Amino acid sequence: MDKKTIHLTLNGEAREWRVYPNELLLNTLREQEFLTGTKYGCGIGECGACTVHVNGAPRLACLTLALACEGADILTIEGLARDGKLDAVQEAFLGQSAFQCGFCTSDMIMMTRALLNENPQPTETQVRDYLRGNLCRCTGYASIVRAALDAAEMERQETA
Amino acid sequence: MSYQILGNDYFRKDGIGKVTGREVYASDVTLPRMWHARVLRSPHAHARIKSIDARAAQELGAVVLTYADVPHLKYNERIVSIPPHLYRDRTVLADKARHVGEAVAAVAAPTEQLAEKALRALQVEWEILPHYTDPLAAQRADAEPIHDSYILNGQEIPVENNVAVTRVVQVGDIEEGFAQADHIFEREFVTSRIYHAQMETKSCVCDPAPDGSITVYPTTQSIHNVRQLLGEIFSIPLHKVNVKRVAIGGTFGSSIQMNSIIPICVALALKAKRPVKLVSTREEDMYDHVRYQTKLKLKIGVTREGKITAGHMQALADIGGHNIQAYALLSVLAGWTASLYNYPNLKFEGKAVYTNKTPSCALQGFGNPQATFAAESLMDEIATELDWDPIEFKLKNYVGLGGTFWGQGPSVQSIVRSDGVPQLLHDGAQKIGWRARPKPGTQTGRYRHGIGMARGFHTSGAGAPKPGEVIDYSGAFIKINEDGSVDIVHAMMDHGGGTLEAIAKIVAEELGVPIERVGISPADTLTTVYDVVTHATRGVYAGGGAAHKAAVKVKQQIFDYASRILGLQADSLMIEPDYELMQGVIYCPNFPERRITLGALAKQLQVNSWGTLAAVESLRQVNCPPAYVTYFIDLTVDTETGQVTTNRAAIGSDCGTVVNPAMAIGQLEGGLSKGMGYALVEDNQWDAQTGQLTSKGFWIDGKTPAISEAPFVENIITHFANTYEPSGPFGAKGIGEAATNPCAAAYANALYNALDIRFTELPITAEKILSALAAQDERASRASDYLENKVVAVMQAAE
Repeated sequence: MDKKTIHLTLNGEAREWRVYPNELLLNTLREQEFLTGTKYGCGIGECGACTVHVNGAPRLACLTLALACEGADILTIEGLARDGKLDAVQEAFLGQSAFQCGFCTSDMIMMTRALLNENPQPTETQVRDYLRGNLCRCTGYASIVRAALDAAEMERQETA
Repeated sequence: MSYQILGNDYFRKDGIGKVTGREVYASDVTLPRMWHARVLRSPHAHARIKSIDARAAQELGAVVLTYADVPHLKYNERIVSIPPHLYRDRTVLADKARHVGEAVAAVAAPTEQLAEKALRALQVEWEILPHYTDPLAAQRADAEPIHDSYILNGQEIPVENNVAVTRVVQVGDIEEGFAQADHIFEREFVTSRIYHAQMETKSCVCDPAPDGSITVYPTTQSIHNVRQLLGEIFSIPLHKVNVKRVAIGGTFGSSIQMNSIIPICVALALKAKRPVKLVSTREEDMYDHVRYQTKLKLKIGVTREGKITAGHMQALADIGGHNIQAYALLSVLAGWTASLYNYPNLKFEGKAVYTNKTPSCALQGFGNPQATFAAESLMDEIATELDWDPIEFKLKNYVGLGGTFWGQGPSVQSIVRSDGVPQLLHDGAQKIGWRARPKPGTQTGRYRHGIGMARGFHTSGAGAPKPGEVIDYSGAFIKINEDGSVDIVHAMMDHGGGTLEAIAKIVAEELGVPIERVGISPADTLTTVYDVVTHATRGVYAGGGAAHKAAVKVKQQIFDYASRILGLQADSLMIEPDYELMQGVIYCPNFPERRITLGALAKQLQVNSWGTLAAVESLRQVNCPPAYVTYFIDLTVDTETGQVTTNRAAIGSDCGTVVNPAMAIGQLEGGLSKGMGYALVEDNQWDAQTGQLTSKGFWIDGKTPAISEAPFVENIITHFANTYEPSGPFGAKGIGEAATNPCAAAYANALYNALDIRFTELPITAEKILSALAAQDERASRASDYLENKVVAVMQAAE
C-alpha cells in the first residue's frame, strides 16, 4: 500500500500529510503530529475518547480515515486555547474540577465545545443527550454537566 | 477547626495539563528509535504450548519472545503483601495458557503494523486441555490441574483440586452464639465479575541503555513496586532500574499489581536493544483483570431484643487463571465482615479457586463491595422481619467509636477514634425522605417507587500497631527554595482523585506557604523514597501523613535557623502565608518588626553555609481508621420492562477533615456511577463450552454506566460528617473506595422496598427483575387459587 498526500488545516495551521489509505486519523494525530491529547480508549467507537472536530462537527478519530480528511479543518484539544487563553469550556472544567484521571477530559471538552457551538444555552437534559456517547469512569458525570452549564453561562455573560 | 488552605478549592495543579490535552500518560511517551510491540494471546482457555515457530515473524524483521526467551522466575505481581505471603504462580510469558487472552509470545517491530503482521506469522502448536469456567467443576477430583504448584516463601507447594488458598478466621464460638439467638437468618449472595473499565488501556514504554540500565514508563499505581519486581525478574541491580511516574488514565485497583505487559515490554526492549512501546488494545485489557467474583453464604443470629449473637460467613472466590492476591482477599472478606457489625462470635471460612478465566484482582473496595452487599442486604431483611427501622437496627449493632476495625484482615486492626455514622444516617434519612418511604408490597401499578439504605466504609490505609501481613509505608522529601517556594518529592501515584493535591495542601498548611507556591515534583524511583502503592484508600491518610511528618521537621528547621537570625527563641516564632509576597513569613507576634520571609531565610542559609531547609521522612501509620459512607437510593421500577431509574441519591461521607471539597464530592458522585453499574448492569460472562469471554466491549456486549443512567445533578445529594480523625494529617482520613462499597446493597434494599422482592445476585438486571416479578405473580395467583378452593370447600362443607 502506498502513502498518499493530503492537505488540510490542523488547529488553524496548514498541513501536508503523507498517509496510508487505511490509516486512522487518531494514529496520524498521535504519531505524526504528536498531538497525544486525543486518546485511544476502545478503537471501535464505543467510548468517545478520540473525539476531535472535523469541519466544526465532533468526530471519532478512531473511526475516521486520515485520507478522508483531505481539505478538512480539524481541531483537536491542543488547538482549543487561543493566544494563551483557555477556552471557556476548559476554564469551566478547571473551575468545577470536572475531571479526575483526565483520560476522557479532552473528548468531554471537545464535545461540550461542539454542543455550545450548536446550542449556546443548553438545558441539563440537552447536555446529557449530547454527551450520552462519551464514557467517563471516574466522575459519575455530575461535575461534567456542571462545567458544561458553567461554560455556557460564562459565554452568555461575555456576549451580554 | 479552621485552616488557611485545607478545605478550600483551587484549580488543580494537574488541571492545566489535563484540560489542554498535554498531560502525559504511558501511551503518550514516544522516544527516538522506538519500536512497537504486540502480544500473542491464547485463543484457548486452557492449552499447553507444544511449539512456536517464529521464523516467519523474524524474517519480517521482528524481535520475537516466547517462554524460552524470558526469565523463568515465578513471581507474584502484587508485592504489597509481605514476602512470606506472596503466592508466586506466573512467569513473564506463560508456558501454558490458563485463560483466553493469556500472553504466550510477543513481538516488537519498527511499526505497529509490522508488529501485527509478525504476530500473525507466529505458528503455535497447541495441546488443548479441559477448561473450567465454574469453580465447582474446577474442584472435581478428576479435574485437570490449572497449576501444578506455586511458590510460597521459597517452597514449591502443590495445588490440590485447583484450590489456590483457604483461610479460616474465628472470633469466639459460633455454636454458642447461635444457641443464644432467638432468630437465625441465612442467605446466599452471588456477586459478579465486573471489569475495571478504566479509560486508559495498560501501556508501557521501556528504554534500555548500553550500561544495562532501563528506564520504564508504565501504567501503574506504584512505581517502586514495579522497580523492585523488574529488578528481581531481570536480575538488574535496582540503581539501574528507573521507573518514571506518568499520569494514569483511571485504574480502580487494576494496577496495584505490576501489569502483565510491563515485564513483556521490558524483555522486548532488552532483546531489541532499543526503546519499545506496548499499548494494550481494549480487548486485551479485558483479558487482564476483573473484580473477584464471590459466592457468600451469610448466617446471622439475633436475640429478641435485636442484638447480634453470632455470624458465619462461607466464601467461595472464583479467582481466574492466576492468584494475584487471593490470600489477602479472603483476609479482607473476613475483616470487612467483622468490622461492619459487632459479632461476639464470628466464623469466616474462605476458599479461593482457580478457573480458566481472566485473573481477578482488587477493584475499588477489594472484597468490600461483595461483603457489604451481603451484610447490608441481610441486615435490612433482619431489621424488617423483626419490625425494626433498619437505621435503628444498624445503629444498635454497627462497629463505631471505640470498636475494633479490621483495616486489612485479621492482622491489621485498630480502635475507631472518629465516627460520623449517626450524623450521616440522620442527615441522609432527612434528605431522602426516609420516613415517607413506601411500605413493601403495597404498590400495584406499572411504576413502583422504592427507597433503600445501606452503610459501609473502607479502611484508610493498611497500617496498624502490629506489623501485619501487608506493607503500608510512604515517604516524602520536602525542600524549601530560595524564593520561599516548596518542592514536594513524593513517589505516590494520584489516580485522579486529587491525592497529590491534598498532599500539597497538607504541606502548605503546615509550613504556612501559599498553595500556589507548593510544587509536586515529577517523580521516579531514582529520586524518591519508597511509597508502597496508592490503594486501600491510603493516599491522603498515609501518603499525606508522611508528607506532613516531613513538613513538621522542615518547620522546626525553619524556626531554629530563623531564631538565630532574628535573635528570638525558636518556640516564640510563627509562620504564615503572605499573599502579597506570595510566600511564608516567619515572625514573632510580640515583636512584629522582627520578621523574615521563607525565601530570604533559605538564601541566607546558603550565604552563611549553615544548612539546607529540607527533610525526608517515611511513615507507617499505626491506625487504619474507617472512612464511613452511607447511601440512600430513591428509585422507580418499570414493572413491564424491568428498567430501574435512579431518581435521587443521598451519599454521606465521613472522611474526617475534608481536604479537597470539590474532589471529595467528585469521589462520591463517581462512586454512585460505578456502584449503580455494579448493582444493576455490569457483568462479564464466560462461555462454559468455549471458555471465551462473551462480553467484549464497553456497551455492545457489556454495559458501562453512561451519563444517561446518572441522576440529574441536583438529585445527587452529597453530605459530609463533621468529624476529626485524631491520627490523620489535620484530622483527615480516606474517602475513595468507600464511595462505592454500600451502593449495591442500597439498590437491592430499595428494590425490596418497591417490589417486596429480595435480590441476592448481582447485577440485578431488568431480566432478573422481570422474572422475579413473574414468580411473585405466580405465587400470588397460586395463593389466591388456594384461597378460592378453600372457600369453595368450606362452603361445600357448610352445605
